[in-house]
Amino acid sequence: MIAQRTLDVSELPVGSVSNHAPLWWGQLLLALIEASMFFILLAMYFYIRLSMDIWPPPGVQLPKLGPATLALIPLVLSAIGSYIASEAAKKNDRSGMLLGLGLNIVLALLFLAARWFAWNEWNFNWRATAYGSIMWALMYLHTIDAVADVILTLCLFILIVFGYRGVKQRLGVHVDSILWYFIVLIWLPAYVVLYWGPRFVGAP
Amino acid sequence: MTPLVATPVREIDDVRGRHDLENAWRNPAGLLSWLSVATHQAIGMRYIVTAFIFLLAGGVEALLMRIQLAKADNTFLGPDKYNEIFTTHGTTMMFLFAVPMMEGMAIYLVPLLIGTRNVAFPRLNAFGYWMYLFGALFLYFGVFTNTAPDMGWFAYPPLSGPQFSPGKRVDFWAQMITFTEISALCVATEIIATIVKLRAPGMSLNRIPIYAWSMLIQSFMILFAMPAVMVSSTVMLLNDRTIGTHFVNPWAGGDPLLYQHVFWFFGHPEVYLIFIPALGFVSAIVETHSRRAMFGYPALVLSQLANAFVAFGLWVHHMFATDLPQMGESYFTASSMMIAIASGTQIFCWIATLWSGRVKMRTPVYFVLGFIFIFVLGGLTGVMLASVPLDLQVHDTFFVVAHFHYVLIGGALFPLFGAFYHWYPKMTGRVMDDFIGKINFWLLFIGFNVTFFPMHILGLHGMTRRIYTYPQEMGWEPMNALATVGAFIILLGGIVFILNVISSRRHGAEAGANPWDGGTLEWATDSPPRNYNFVNLPAATSRYPLWNDPKERVVVTGLRDDRREVLVTTLMDAEPHHRLVLPSSSIWPFLTALLSAIGLWGSVFHFSWYYVAMLGAFIGLVGWFWPRRREAEA
Repeated sequence: MIAQRTLDVSELPVGSVSNHAPLWWGQLLLALIEASMFFILLAMYFYIRLSMDIWPPPGVQLPKLGPATLALIPLVLSAIGSYIASEAAKKNDRSGMLLGLGLNIVLALLFLAARWFAWNEWNFNWRATAYGSIMWALMYLHTIDAVADVILTLCLFILIVFGYRGVKQRLGVHVDSILWYFIVLIWLPAYVVLYWGPRFVGAP
Repeated sequence: MTPLVATPVREIDDVRGRHDLENAWRNPAGLLSWLSVATHQAIGMRYIVTAFIFLLAGGVEALLMRIQLAKADNTFLGPDKYNEIFTTHGTTMMFLFAVPMMEGMAIYLVPLLIGTRNVAFPRLNAFGYWMYLFGALFLYFGVFTNTAPDMGWFAYPPLSGPQFSPGKRVDFWAQMITFTEISALCVATEIIATIVKLRAPGMSLNRIPIYAWSMLIQSFMILFAMPAVMVSSTVMLLNDRTIGTHFVNPWAGGDPLLYQHVFWFFGHPEVYLIFIPALGFVSAIVETHSRRAMFGYPALVLSQLANAFVAFGLWVHHMFATDLPQMGESYFTASSMMIAIASGTQIFCWIATLWSGRVKMRTPVYFVLGFIFIFVLGGLTGVMLASVPLDLQVHDTFFVVAHFHYVLIGGALFPLFGAFYHWYPKMTGRVMDDFIGKINFWLLFIGFNVTFFPMHILGLHGMTRRIYTYPQEMGWEPMNALATVGAFIILLGGIVFILNVISSRRHGAEAGANPWDGGTLEWATDSPPRNYNFVNLPAATSRYPLWNDPKERVVVTGLRDDRREVLVTTLMDAEPHHRLVLPSSSIWPFLTALLSAIGLWGSVFHFSWYYVAMLGAFIGLVGWFWPRRREAEA
């Protein structure tokens, strides 16, 4: 037995589905790591751009605006699903989580389908000059991130369907939304650079 | 909310609490359990021991080089072996020793310093260690199968490109980077989350121990710097070599200089993220052994932050010898010189603390003084190298070799040895022998200067780096021979250190909880700490809670002892927010690392192995997060 001044914390809740959870920080930091990758790749894009006279180089068709712009619609809207899911997770509302995650998955799959069409009509691959290499690197990184998060969201959806919705799982739903916001937000500057940049400056 | 003020004095049953905690935090025996461990002391110690083994490997490589250079026209090593050895030496010291060692020390110490039971993500911590180990084994598998990298630790194209480096040597190097970077990013993430969310109640931002500040700053640097090296080594170099991208191919719009830019955008911060934890070691040693609060705490923390910030604006000073616009070079000269301001501020703070405190001249203090001496010399040559004309003159000579060994060994290794002597009692329960410690110090200090000081002069005499031998007529032999003698004195110092570690483990004086009368929280608990660190989590009533009146100290009650529960506090003022149950041991981090590693190993042969890595990681993560019904009921 020792006698000491004490601070009693037994009244505090166990676990928290909020931005106070350490996992929220973990997710935010992961997004920062990915963001660093993207911005370095974007910086490389500009560097390579500066060393070429004609952009895109001869033989390469500038990617069409239409499909890539259409793909933005489901991408941006899918963030609403993430928001609904994360708010429902805080309130432990099962149907809200299922609605939000479901909406997110459907719209994200629509986005990936549109992305497939937009990507498929490029007439160059990564071996076609440094332009091809950097375009493919950016597109590949973003797509693989999006696919990974759709798989993660599917796993969470399955967990909630089967009734696993303790603090851990709901916190998972909450931080999953952070990751998806990141995937949506990071593509907006990349889209402007890849699709509008060459049209504003140095169009053939 | 000011819970710390109105706290009643209560009787605490620490015997029963201890019993429950022992059960909840036990790491069972057996191989499977050994692979599943997720407590920070065990993982931290694995990092430290593994990284120390690689320090010895890197040291052996250094000695081989010194033997080769000891006399003119030597044929001890051929040119190809010499290339392999200097590249493996640099790679080992940077990626397999320095960064993992600093991470290991932080994993062990940070939870103790901030008063919690484990890092915020214990399984991620285990995963990070296994990735580091698998990457390190991968590189050394190459070393022993004639596939050691041979193009310098920074792998500049076009030398490292597909045209001039056929074979797999560069690919092994490039993918080893991925492993160590994943590991470093895992640690950075968990250290940040631990420091921002698991601090003892009352430990507001202005009470965080300076070493914990250093690790917080260093971890943020890792987040922004490490992705750059993954981009340069795998996206650019490995893809150019394996699937035919053209990032560094000037004939197809790429640019070898782009590689240098991206690499050094990582490479310069890399030096600082080795050096900033060392600044934290120095601060902890200085304040403890001079038994006074750190002079200029805010200035010191802000200077470290400034160092970290400016570190990202320095990379071009590694490229002064390339064809860059003069305006750009001037900018990087100015920013390189700015580093001296922030570093100088810190050195003045430490000197002021030592000067006005009651310094006990123990071994850690010797290492700090040695650090100040060597690091100031390295800093001075740094200011010289920041000037473009001088840099062009001595570029790629031994002057540069001398400079970076002065800043890295002086700036990181000396504080690290000081930290070993300082925290060895906490980690083992025994104090290292002080007399042998001082012999250890003098051997390292003299050996270091004898080895590296002549290199300044050799560099000014025109001896270039990475040459495997030189003709007699150059007149470089005496000073090279001297440097080799110095290297063997360093070896002797290392042997004395290892003997001291081993013998003190058995025969050292009992340390007790607080052998140095330290003020920060790690000294409040048993030496070595139990797996749960503290029976009752401490609160931070000041910057140095242990120097307060014992009656004023506060401990946390009300956490459950029968499971791995910790207290989460708020970001700024560390007010209690909620309780959190941390995960216990699991085999899945190991399996996830192994399954991902198989794919990454394969990827040096074909890109499609990345999909194997992804599938492996997915399988691993499903096992890792498989829910248990009991926990998951709403």
